[in-house]
Amino acid sequence: MKKVMMGNHAVSWGVSLARAEVVSAYPITPQTQIVEELSEMCSDGRLDARFIKVESEHSAMAACIGASATGARTFTATSSQGLALMHEVLHWAAGGRLPIVMADINRAMAPGWNIWTDQNDSLSQRDTGWIQLYCETNQEVLDTTVQAFKLAEAVDLPVMLILDAFFLSHTSEPVDVPDQDAVDRFLPPRQARFKLDTQDPHAFGALVRPDAYMEMRWHQHQAMDLARTTLDEIAEEWNGEFGRNWPAVESYRAADAELILVTSGTITSTARHVVDQRRDRGERVGLVKVKMFRPFPTDVLRKVLAGPRRVAVLDRNISPGHGGIFAEEIRSALYDLPLDDRPLLFGYVLGLGGRDVTPAVIDDIIEQTRVGARAEREDLWVGVNP
Amino acid sequence: MSQIMIGDLIPETQLLDSGHLACPGCAAPLAMEMVLKALGPDTIVVLPACCWSIVAGPWPQSSLRVPLYHTAFETGAAVASGIRAALAQRGDHDTNVLAWAGDGGTFDIGLQALSGAAERNEDIIYVCYDNEAYMNTGVQRSSATPWGAWTTTTPAEHPENHPKKDIMAILAAHRIPYAATASVSYPVDLLEKLEKAKSVRGMRFLHILSPCPPGWKTPSESSIRLGRMAVQSKVFPMMEVENGAEWRFTMDHAGDPVEPYIRAQGRFRHLPPEAIRGIQGEVDARWEILEKRVRHGT
Amino acid sequence: MPESRETKARDIPAVAVSQTSTRVNKTGSWKYIRPRYRDRVAPCNARCPVGIDVEGYMNLVREGRIWEAEDLLLRENPMPAITGRVCDHPCEEACNRQGFDEPVAIHGVERYLGDLILEQPLPDHFKPWRTERIALVGSGPAGLACAYHLNRLGYGVTVFESDAQAGGMLRQGIPGYRLPRTVLDRQIEWFEAQGIEIRCGEGIGDGVDWESLSEFAAVFLATGAHSSRAAGMVDEEGPGVRPGLEFLRDVNRGQIPILGLRVAVIGGGNTAMDCARTARRLGSEVTVVYRRTRAEMPAIAAEIEEAEREGVTFRFLAAPRAALRENGVLTGIACTPMELGPPDDSGRRRPIPSETEQEFLLELDSVLTAIGETPDLGFLPDPLKPRWGTFEVGPLNAVTGESPDLDTAEGPLSGPTMVFAGGDVAEQPRTVAHALGAGKRAALGIDRALHVARGRAPEDWDPAGFTFGPEGNVSITQYRRDDPIRREDPLNEVVEAEDLNPEHFQKVPRHSDWHLRPDDALQDFSEANRGLLPDQALEEAQRCFNCGVCNGCELCLIYCPDFAISRRADGGFTIDMDYCKGCGICAEECPRGAIVMTQEGV
Repeated sequence: MKKVMMGNHAVSWGVSLARAEVVSAYPITPQTQIVEELSEMCSDGRLDARFIKVESEHSAMAACIGASATGARTFTATSSQGLALMHEVLHWAAGGRLPIVMADINRAMAPGWNIWTDQNDSLSQRDTGWIQLYCETNQEVLDTTVQAFKLAEAVDLPVMLILDAFFLSHTSEPVDVPDQDAVDRFLPPRQARFKLDTQDPHAFGALVRPDAYMEMRWHQHQAMDLARTTLDEIAEEWNGEFGRNWPAVESYRAADAELILVTSGTITSTARHVVDQRRDRGERVGLVKVKMFRPFPTDVLRKVLAGPRRVAVLDRNISPGHGGIFAEEIRSALYDLPLDDRPLLFGYVLGLGGRDVTPAVIDDIIEQTRVGARAEREDLWVGVNP
Repeated sequence: MSQIMIGDLIPETQLLDSGHLACPGCAAPLAMEMVLKALGPDTIVVLPACCWSIVAGPWPQSSLRVPLYHTAFETGAAVASGIRAALAQRGDHDTNVLAWAGDGGTFDIGLQALSGAAERNEDIIYVCYDNEAYMNTGVQRSSATPWGAWTTTTPAEHPENHPKKDIMAILAAHRIPYAATASVSYPVDLLEKLEKAKSVRGMRFLHILSPCPPGWKTPSESSIRLGRMAVQSKVFPMMEVENGAEWRFTMDHAGDPVEPYIRAQGRFRHLPPEAIRGIQGEVDARWEILEKRVRHGT
Repeated sequence: MPESRETKARDIPAVAVSQTSTRVNKTGSWKYIRPRYRDRVAPCNARCPVGIDVEGYMNLVREGRIWEAEDLLLRENPMPAITGRVCDHPCEEACNRQGFDEPVAIHGVERYLGDLILEQPLPDHFKPWRTERIALVGSGPAGLACAYHLNRLGYGVTVFESDAQAGGMLRQGIPGYRLPRTVLDRQIEWFEAQGIEIRCGEGIGDGVDWESLSEFAAVFLATGAHSSRAAGMVDEEGPGVRPGLEFLRDVNRGQIPILGLRVAVIGGGNTAMDCARTARRLGSEVTVVYRRTRAEMPAIAAEIEEAEREGVTFRFLAAPRAALRENGVLTGIACTPMELGPPDDSGRRRPIPSETEQEFLLELDSVLTAIGETPDLGFLPDPLKPRWGTFEVGPLNAVTGESPDLDTAEGPLSGPTMVFAGGDVAEQPRTVAHALGAGKRAALGIDRALHVARGRAPEDWDPAGFTFGPEGNVSITQYRRDDPIRREDPLNEVVEAEDLNPEHFQKVPRHSDWHLRPDDALQDFSEANRGLLPDQALEEAQRCFNCGVCNGCELCLIYCPDFAISRRADGGFTIDMDYCKGCGICAEECPRGAIVMTQEGV
């Protein structure tokens, strides 16, 4: 069934298809439509779930923690400041190994107030122990939402699926809504490994002393490692069932490319368009889309980027005092490649606070990357006139 | 009957184990045990950061024989809301969900989540065991610390100079079905209140005064006596509020002077007589307000 | 907790999920003092001259174990139906409850149980298993008590009574409105059924020779004090003035002495009250004349109140100086007004003639003197007669001191050689309770002496091991070591009010005895004080604090913050020292002071 829907509603439909049992959320632009739609679905019976209208994002996540710890399939959505407010309890969800799924609409952090997109909100939560999946299209959003639950429950880790404010959240696209029965086969009801159960009472999250704390973090890290392959399997299964493939890293016309653009989120679509134009002109330009940021797909990236070529990493984010975050992570991933295989890497910081990243901007980046004498350690601020 | 054969009135079920890590004479384990006795084994406990995070025992232990979720300081009411939703979604409306927080987690950092849960009338029981300061971190003042008290952040030269927050009025203002004060020194009253709480759906709030020997600087054997003195001097009256409007005293209060209660505690040792008269005046004034609430409702 | 170097990470769970209870923490190691259950002595027990385990039977009644309560009471007190009526109940004065609200009406519970006992079929014959027989001289409370306890200790007993009926002062001195004859008769019948032989009309020296008593292994002398002391008035001897006790004896035998309308009773003790109230019942107007004030009156307070209710008037601070007669007929007495001077040996303020007030006259038709009685021991061989009128006795009532010198100049005195004495013939307070206590002590003394004689017991032997508290009131249960009550680490120390935690008690008014209305009471000699209703008696037992004795109230268990206290199968409690942190809440909160904190064994 094809429907035209906004990215936010694609999330809602994904949550509904996944038969989430408890939804807890607090409004924030530009996420609000997700929970508005879920609220509708809960009240008109399309979704059989409890909706807790909490008084803050912190409580939204806390309520999800409670529900998930009791064995329920649990969802929330937020953005920017709200995500930042959740920070403490994001750790609690991940450390408690609770397979909560959350949609984050990438929105810039204040001040000054800004409701438009960039990735600093989600990337600030990099080390909380959440799996992070960045989406490019509304179809990918819906499909990833369903997959996120399967992934989360397979490895007992929470999953954050991330989409750009407005460029995706409020943009309507045709979306193929999968059949509920097929989704049910793909995603059976949750079987919690541990849960709060008065028939089998346990305490969760007590004081853990230095002699065991590290082992528990090690387990968490192991689960993250496992999530890489698990996501591949899930993507493959989904592809087999529904004919759409959303890998952790997508390599687009990049195998023989002399210059590769590395993107995430909606910039990918613009870059894809530019790559197609360049290829039409015979230029060996390719694209690598990074969907999964945590766990970081190090091995795949080394495979697709290695070689005597130039790589331009487009970062809609900034780690002040360091640079674009994707660029830094990729530099680190490629560092121990043999020198001959190590590409020249150029980092570009762009599009912050929702500034438009047009094909012309990407064309400029390609040209700069092509003529750059050496790998610029300092990322370039695109469109900023010092 | 003149003798209270209290054993006959209190359920035998034991849901809290020995070997817990409360200080000698701490009233908080008693409060938990009495509440769990009333609620029974079909109860899930949510425990935001507080002394009880330690009392419950470190991993891999638990002093409770019911499920327990340790959680962040300000999240007691919210986590409990999530647990209730998950249970209800699976058709379980019987399991009690008990949020168990200290005064810091209730009066201060947890107040927002508590207010949210109260306003939504979540079907949970929220108990604040109130030892009147941040005891677990080493006795720092909270908004539940009474006027005049020494804490490590209100030294004797500059003791606490704000009166204790009126948490009952705050909860009553949320129009929740049931709110009550209680004391481990009056176990039968406490159990009756929990029976009442169990008999209604929605948000139920219990405020239990929990004497703390190290934080109050009192001998370990005096905790129960101090609880009685707090009640009988009207410092901590025993009352309940239904639907935020119907206030009731649940026992007669002797109206003993506050001085022996204050003087029994090292944390008030620095107070001169006029300060104690001031406390008496404050207690008397508050009592009048309470009596008005009982007469006229809110 | 495993060391990480030795532990595989995979053995540690992915989340901090509990796997064990905190019981692995032996938090009892934190303590530096520990609680200990120690049963101590309730003040009622310590004060009871009879040596009754008052607290014990109160607790059994509270628990509804009436039969066991009767048994416990009967172990120490042979005649609870009688003491429940006529004892002055010092236990109630000692009761820790009086500082809280009012003392427990112990007498009411005792009377209730005593009446239940007498309502039941008579007891089986207590067959003696010892060869020795013991003679008891006098069938008053002391003699009967001694006989009763000896009988239960296995001895055959014979009580010699000079009067035609048994009971001694219970029958001759105490009027029927205080102790109905039906109760007394049933009690005597009850003793006889148990195996006590009572030979009435066989006084020593009056049908039975002292020497003939040598067939008995021991003799207990308890003939009482029946000779009234003179009031010391000028012209006391003569018509219109007679000893009150003699008057009572006549009335109690069914005679109706002529007193006239206006009667004075001289004295402030129980005999005086008995005379006054008896005279009222014979239709006289009665004035009690007493040298001191009401506060110093030795009579039971309730008796004074009842006398007042029945219309007896009092002239305090008045000493009769002379009997006045005209033509040999009494017209009145002249009284010297008194005032109170410094305290005398008895601790009461000594009355001295007033320097300001004038002598006054009371116009009277009869005067009854009741200022004390002395024993009449004329029947004894001279060497046995006490020099000062009463026997000095040892702790177990063996006749000691200067009195017995059995080796006379003419050789050994013939007759029994093991002589004990008690009751009013000994130097002791003259109450029924003290008489019963003396009888019991003598029974123990005789048993003990016979054991020594048989070579079965050492001679130096301390009776303190079977007393309640410091006053020397002995418990035969403790003596026999067959206490049916489980004692927790007992400590012979009396529990004071400050040892209790009154917060755990509720104020409950004491039940009052039901009295006949004075108008009705004065109609005849039917019982004036009808005691408590059964429900009231049971409620009084509920009022008992059970001072010093764990009664299983479970407060300690409920208030133990470490859940270290548990019930034992036998009803007591165990403290698991692995978990007790020594906080002291149990000892502090124990309502009855049955837990102490100690450093022992920590």
